[in-house]
Amino acid sequence: MSTQSQVVELRDVHMQFEEKKVLDGLSLTVKPQERLVIMGQSGSGKSTILRLILGTLPPTVGSIFFKGSEINRLPRQKLQEVRRHIGMVYQYSALLSSRTVRDNVALPLEELTDKSREEIDKVVDEKLELVGMEDSKDLLPEELSGGMKKRVALARSLVLEPELLLLDEPSAGLDPVIASVIDELIISLSEKSKVTSITVTHEMESAFRIATRLAMLYQGKIIEEAEPEEFKQSKDPVVAQFLSGSTEGPILEGSLDAITKK
Amino acid sequence: MFWFIVNTFEEMFERIQQGRVPFRATSFFRHSQRAGVDSVPLVGLVSFFLGLTMTLLTGYQLQRFGTERLIPGLVAIGFTRELGPLLTGIMVAARIGAAFTAELGTMQVSEEVEAIESMGIGPLRFLVAPRMLALILLMPCLSTASNIAAILASSLICKAYFSIAFPYFLDLVKDSLLIRDIVTGIFKSFLFGLLIAAIACYRGLTVKGGAAGVGTSTTSSVVTAITTVIGFDTLYNIIYTNFYPI
Repeated sequence: MSTQSQVVELRDVHMQFEEKKVLDGLSLTVKPQERLVIMGQSGSGKSTILRLILGTLPPTVGSIFFKGSEINRLPRQKLQEVRRHIGMVYQYSALLSSRTVRDNVALPLEELTDKSREEIDKVVDEKLELVGMEDSKDLLPEELSGGMKKRVALARSLVLEPELLLLDEPSAGLDPVIASVIDELIISLSEKSKVTSITVTHEMESAFRIATRLAMLYQGKIIEEAEPEEFKQSKDPVVAQFLSGSTEGPILEGSLDAITKK
Repeated sequence: MFWFIVNTFEEMFERIQQGRVPFRATSFFRHSQRAGVDSVPLVGLVSFFLGLTMTLLTGYQLQRFGTERLIPGLVAIGFTRELGPLLTGIMVAARIGAAFTAELGTMQVSEEVEAIESMGIGPLRFLVAPRMLALILLMPCLSTASNIAAILASSLICKAYFSIAFPYFLDLVKDSLLIRDIVTGIFKSFLFGLLIAAIACYRGLTVKGGAAGVGTSTTSSVVTAITTVIGFDTLYNIIYTNFYPI
């Protein structure tokens, strides 16, 4: 059993898609109010970790706990209840294209709470204001830019006051000012509302601004876990290469020659 | 497929047990409008034409034996028991089944379905149940519209070509039509509605492979639904005629 003091725990998780091994014995814990940032190469399985925590994807082997409940063994109804405490922002926003911004943000409240229309409108306005999207309430997702969609998705993930926030590339596609606003919002949610967050990102600046702890995913395992300052000083050659963005190092070893030859 | 239907109803009943409505009434009425009301002109028109053709073809054959008075009964029984539900099923599968698959398939590939699931909302009761119920409940209405259109067309041809006046036509229809013909037709319609909706939604929610996958699944959904409807119709007729041979 996982202890209640940890919000999330992944224990020896293996994940395989047909022939491709994505996670290979990954273990990870997240404590309350922590802001964990997971870094790693594209396609290394970072988003898969978020899906495993949400229970939308079952692991091949291993256990995933959310506040002591083993996600991958919960019956459907219980799993749905657990998910109400988790907010997820997808990489491509995943807004319902046939509903307006207002209706997208209101959806969890309409479906899962007994709030009146007025109460729902109040919460929707409040959350949209938080992400600076209050003027776009009546627009359809197709009328929004990528960054705007992401902010609406963030507002939607916050309406049920989640205890855990999962963010898949929250700053990608945003201008630097809005990206900072989103980062500040994640920090303030954790400090004021005690929200725990797990962020998957490639944006170094954003990662180091948000994180209370960083983890490096490489070849299906967490190879380094540390606080931001300590992470920057990591002696691990993979982490050092990833942070510097250099082409020299263990990442792409072998495959780089093939790329340059092409 | 069977478990897909069972899970959809299970999610709905779980929700009802929690004292909540399984889906919004507006969602149900929107799908009913689209699947049912908006399909009336097409179903009506096709059935009308088929009623005309059927009356003409059979009428000239029966006229040779002096038994034109059998035409109204033949068209009425043929449509209420067989052609009405079948024709409606085929048209609904093509018109609405394709729309359901394409719609849900697009939602699936753009992660909308997963997003709904991740909020703790059951996608089956939220997305599938209103579509399924709308189609189950509207199919008998559409079949009835199809029957009326075909019988009306038949009455026009009977009057114009075979000198059967409207009141006599109606009497012949009433004399030949049994309650069980109507019940059989309605039951088939419910069944076809369930099958078309289940196939269309299932294909939509299991789409893989992006936009091309949506296209493939939509084609597959229409073909599977039409084949299944005809297959089940045949199976139903075999079973039915064994119990009630006429």
